[in-house]
Amino acid sequence: MIVLRLFSRTKLYWGLAIICLIGALASPHTSSGRNIFLSFNNLTDVLRQVSITGLVATGMTLVILLGGIDLSVGSVMGFSTIICAMLLTQPGWTPASIMAVPAAAAVAGLGVGFVARFVFHGLARGRDVDAGRRNEIVLGPWRGVRVPAVLGLACGALAAVGTASQVSTKFGVLAVLLVTPCVALALGAINGALIVAGRLQPFIATLAMMVSALGLGRLTAGQDNAVIAVYTGTNATQAFEMLRSMVWGILPMPSVFFLAAILIFGAVLRFTTFGRYIYAIGGNPEAAKLSGIKVAQVQLAAYMISGLLAGLAGVLFVAQYRQGKPDAGSGLELDAIAAVVIGGTSLMGGGGGLAGTFVGVLIFGLLSDILQLQNIDSNVQLLMKGLIIVGTVLVQEQNLGQLLTRWRGQAPPPAPALTGSVEANRPPSATMKSTAREDIHEAS
Amino acid sequence: MKRREFLKLSATLTGAAMTVYLPAGWTPANAAEKKKVGFSQATTLEPWRVQFNKDIEAEAKNHPEIELIITDGQDKTEKQVADVENLIAQQVDVLLISPKESAGLTGVVEKAIDAKIPVIVLDRNVDTKRITQFIGGDNALIGKAAGEYAVKLLGGPGNAAGNVVEIWGGMGTQPAHDRHDGFHAFTDKEPGIKYLLNNQSGDWKQDKAYDIMTTALRNNEKIDLVYGHNDPMAYGAYLAAKDAGRDKDIKFIIGIDALPDEGVTWVNKGELTATFLYATPGAEGLRQAVKLLNGEKIPPVIVLPTMLVDKSNAGEIMKKNGL
Repeated sequence: MIVLRLFSRTKLYWGLAIICLIGALASPHTSSGRNIFLSFNNLTDVLRQVSITGLVATGMTLVILLGGIDLSVGSVMGFSTIICAMLLTQPGWTPASIMAVPAAAAVAGLGVGFVARFVFHGLARGRDVDAGRRNEIVLGPWRGVRVPAVLGLACGALAAVGTASQVSTKFGVLAVLLVTPCVALALGAINGALIVAGRLQPFIATLAMMVSALGLGRLTAGQDNAVIAVYTGTNATQAFEMLRSMVWGILPMPSVFFLAAILIFGAVLRFTTFGRYIYAIGGNPEAAKLSGIKVAQVQLAAYMISGLLAGLAGVLFVAQYRQGKPDAGSGLELDAIAAVVIGGTSLMGGGGGLAGTFVGVLIFGLLSDILQLQNIDSNVQLLMKGLIIVGTVLVQEQNLGQLLTRWRGQAPPPAPALTGSVEANRPPSATMKSTAREDIHEAS
Repeated sequence: MKRREFLKLSATLTGAAMTVYLPAGWTPANAAEKKKVGFSQATTLEPWRVQFNKDIEAEAKNHPEIELIITDGQDKTEKQVADVENLIAQQVDVLLISPKESAGLTGVVEKAIDAKIPVIVLDRNVDTKRITQFIGGDNALIGKAAGEYAVKLLGGPGNAAGNVVEIWGGMGTQPAHDRHDGFHAFTDKEPGIKYLLNNQSGDWKQDKAYDIMTTALRNNEKIDLVYGHNDPMAYGAYLAAKDAGRDKDIKFIIGIDALPDEGVTWVNKGELTATFLYATPGAEGLRQAVKLLNGEKIPPVIVLPTMLVDKSNAGEIMKKNGL
């Protein structure tokens, strides 16, 4: 029984292993007899191909864990490709740079201001805890408002000057890499604000953003430019090729961003209060609110992160495919949601995690690769992908152990249906409750 | 005598002045009012469609007597149907339409014809015989031209040999099937030509073609020719080969469309070997509409010719388009 339960808990990884096995066994061979599927180059190709979807799926996981959904990521990604391509290829105050400079300044300013306040808050709490007090922390006007504000303004101004200095020439790699996600983050913030302040359903708010970001992208590009071509070395900086190179000859650059995002946000979900709040809010928003969690702030932050990662994906898209176009990400949101769901994250929120998403993204990517290597008709490929989604989710949702016991003619154990891997990824509920209680004074 | 001449002169002058200064309401309606030509475009997200609109707008500047109204169907059948209904409501004098697809727009085109609006269909046809004119390129013909060229590149008729990668456009679209059938009409006669991929669709997109080609390169050590159903896909395949360091082995990459700032530019740079012009029916469509408004008779079908664009004429075409 223990073996069965262990197997059931790790079934997602077994799924990945099975897909790899099928790929390896069915793979065609080169004339020298080498297995193409297992070849290093093919596997790095897969990693590169899934990176864009993967980045978006990472942000999507946070949002779905909250019990929300972000349908706008595809359009926001497409919009970001336009911003990125335009900044790279056109000097001067283009629509892209007009949006990019204030966005970068605002993000830098607000970000630094927030971090400063957060640091002061942490220091004050540390002192209070040392002194054995557990009161509500009130920061004075200096530490609470003025110093963060001044720091934020200074950094915002610095960012504005820094990006504006790039406007007269074309933007460089680092500038594009920093500025484009800021614009996308602003769109994510609008999503969040509509949901939090406007009390719109996430589905509706992000659906609206999905439509309007596409329009915005097309307006930004201008009617004459359905596609903005980026030729590194001629109309854009040669250095931009860095973003599609191999790092130390091992990892493709896009996958470095993807892996970093998975690791960073995986750590955030697991080890920070913010991460626990996400699970708590997704599990029961009312309870979370009553235990003093600032639900609105957490939601806002999650949608901003989702936008940010979509923007980053946009930059990588431009690097890989040498073009920016408003509809670059059409259908991407659904691919991302599919990957998250395959990874065992519940669309109801509160259960799942980034490890699952990572595996889900890989399963999807490997499957595409295998089908492509087998040279299977494009239409059949679509059909197969649909079947895989249904198949994995069926296995995910139905506890495999339960299924097996039922087959052996025994009554199923009284555990609820949603245990197994979902439980494995979720912090134990007991810990969660206690943290929530501890955080009451800290969050208010 | 003198006095009579003076009277005559002053009368004609006043009359002439009157024609200029006559308030608009006094003139017969059809003389001063501009004729309205409505154009329902399927989408403006593809570069070819953008060029299409540019062509029709440029031609409209040559005809100040008409007013051109362009609508954008945003790649959705239902949006385009609504667009056409709107144009019918505006009582346009001629309706130009480039339908997103045949079946979904046939009904609304018939509605326009019922409302006594002559309809000129551009690029993709609709399923009715009652339209005034159809103007389009012949995709099968272009496919054949590409096939003939490919056979020549691979060794000439009778002894052509090589591995060919074909990247399809959208699987459900007529142009893709015509471009496929036309190409194969020539290349299938050659026993030496081997096809490596089985109906792989890049959906007309550069990024999808890039990914297909990446895997095809892993899977096949020898690829001699790539045939893309449009230029961006051929270019995506070229980029994949370049990133894999194999662009020099695959000499012949053929696309279709030949837009000045895309295919022609890539051919001129030597990245694509050749592309075949798929002219937009924009300019010709408006010319025909003007003829129709002037009461001339126009033929029921006009087929736009294709043209081979290779290194020899690419530079010239780019110059003509101001690039």
